[in-house]
Amino acid sequence: MRYNFIALFLFIAFFGYVSPAVAQDDLMSLLDEDFAKKPTYTFATFKATRLINGRTVETISKKHLNFWISHRFGAVNSGFINNFFGLDEAKIRLGLEYGITDRLMIGAGRSSVEKTYDFYSKYKVLRQSNKIPVTVTAMGGMAINTMTTGYITETGAEMKFFNNLERYSYTGQVLIARKFNEKISLQLMPTILHQNRVESALIDNTMLSMGGGGRYKLSNRITLSAEYYYNVVDRTQYKNDTGLPYPYHNSLALGVDIETGGHVFQLHFTNSKGMIEKQFIGQTIGTWENKDIFYGFNIARTFSLDKSAKKKIK
Amino acid sequence: MKKLILILLVVPFHFLISSGNAQTLFSTSAGEVSFYSYTPVEDINAVNKKIGSIINSETREVAVQMRMTDFSFPNKLMQEHFNENYLESEKYPTASFRGKITGNEDFTLPGNHAVKATGKMKIHGVEKPMELVGQINSDGKVLKLKLEFLIKLADYKIEIPTLVFAKIAEEIQVKGVLDLVKK
Repeated sequence: MRYNFIALFLFIAFFGYVSPAVAQDDLMSLLDEDFAKKPTYTFATFKATRLINGRTVETISKKHLNFWISHRFGAVNSGFINNFFGLDEAKIRLGLEYGITDRLMIGAGRSSVEKTYDFYSKYKVLRQSNKIPVTVTAMGGMAINTMTTGYITETGAEMKFFNNLERYSYTGQVLIARKFNEKISLQLMPTILHQNRVESALIDNTMLSMGGGGRYKLSNRITLSAEYYYNVVDRTQYKNDTGLPYPYHNSLALGVDIETGGHVFQLHFTNSKGMIEKQFIGQTIGTWENKDIFYGFNIARTFSLDKSAKKKIK
Repeated sequence: MKKLILILLVVPFHFLISSGNAQTLFSTSAGEVSFYSYTPVEDINAVNKKIGSIINSETREVAVQMRMTDFSFPNKLMQEHFNENYLESEKYPTASFRGKITGNEDFTLPGNHAVKATGKMKIHGVEKPMELVGQINSDGKVLKLKLEFLIKLADYKIEIPTLVFAKIAEEIQVKGVLDLVKK
């Protein structure tokens, strides 16, 4: 009889003691269940809207303004006295980007390369989450070359425009990226480029290019990045017809991103001098094998123009 | 044999109690928590409107959980830095508090109740004992819980961000408003 009372006592004591602990875990697991139902979106697949020369899936947040200053210098091996390792010659692009919604942004820029204005918009179609494996962004843009007609291109060809429409070129791009973990993000960027006028009848007006790139975060502030665009062009056909090698090459760029409070600094080496699709995909004359490597940098600064959100919180 | 019957009698009795417990849960998934820090350059503030919380009025237990990426900043770049550099939201996606409301006063009775809860706060993967002081305004069905407390960043191994000119405060003021509805 006594043993049974002890057993009973232990039984109640055990349950009495354990149940609050179980209940507390239960409260947390109930909350966990609730959270698991809602999608968790991946954030910051890349640090900026540009990987190096090309773009990333990232868009500018609603009512935010982003200012880009980009430079590309001359070839690194062009000599100290002659060209100060390329720093004597600088190409510049100034750009502005604005977020209409958190998914839709517009942008414009002006490059000193071929005195070109460019306009584009980007829309984030899909966001990577615990349910969707990738972020997909669509981009469409155009560029207007405002050089005086009859100028000589870097390949030595004479570029004559017979009407203003011939100055236009267009780019369409789908950017597909996945943030694999906090350090590694990879991206594919199939691109179509159409130039109303090209320098030679043997160069196609419409060109396809497959871009690939990615980043590896060394620390919270320092990131390594790489980007390559493979152009689908018939180089042997061009060589057979003209006896000359195809003048343009695939673009490869390697860079380091340094992020400070409000700025992103992107320092890189690339074989492209241009900073818009038409120029770095369509008109890259340098190659890494010939040591035509140009040093360049991009600086991005983002401003929040969202006054209403600030008021709401106060 | 008698004892066996006794035990058999006790077991359903116990389940009766625990099923009774289940009906004293108050919960929300849309609580609000905001924090604020003043600096001479730029004020830093953010709000999260997706706070999950449950209170068991029987056992007086309380649990609060939030996703760090749900904090919304007026400046999205700041939001990205908050998640990427300071709270490391990929590694530590949530912050939580679990504890018990002290005292015996029945805070579910209509009216205002000053409450205190002791428990553990977990932020940035670091768990620290914490005492929260707040107020519950009850109408019997909804518990309106208001909280205000300070978080010392160093306690949770959160790096103190340096802006261009000024450092932000080492302590951040946190406010919470949670409307917990009876389940």
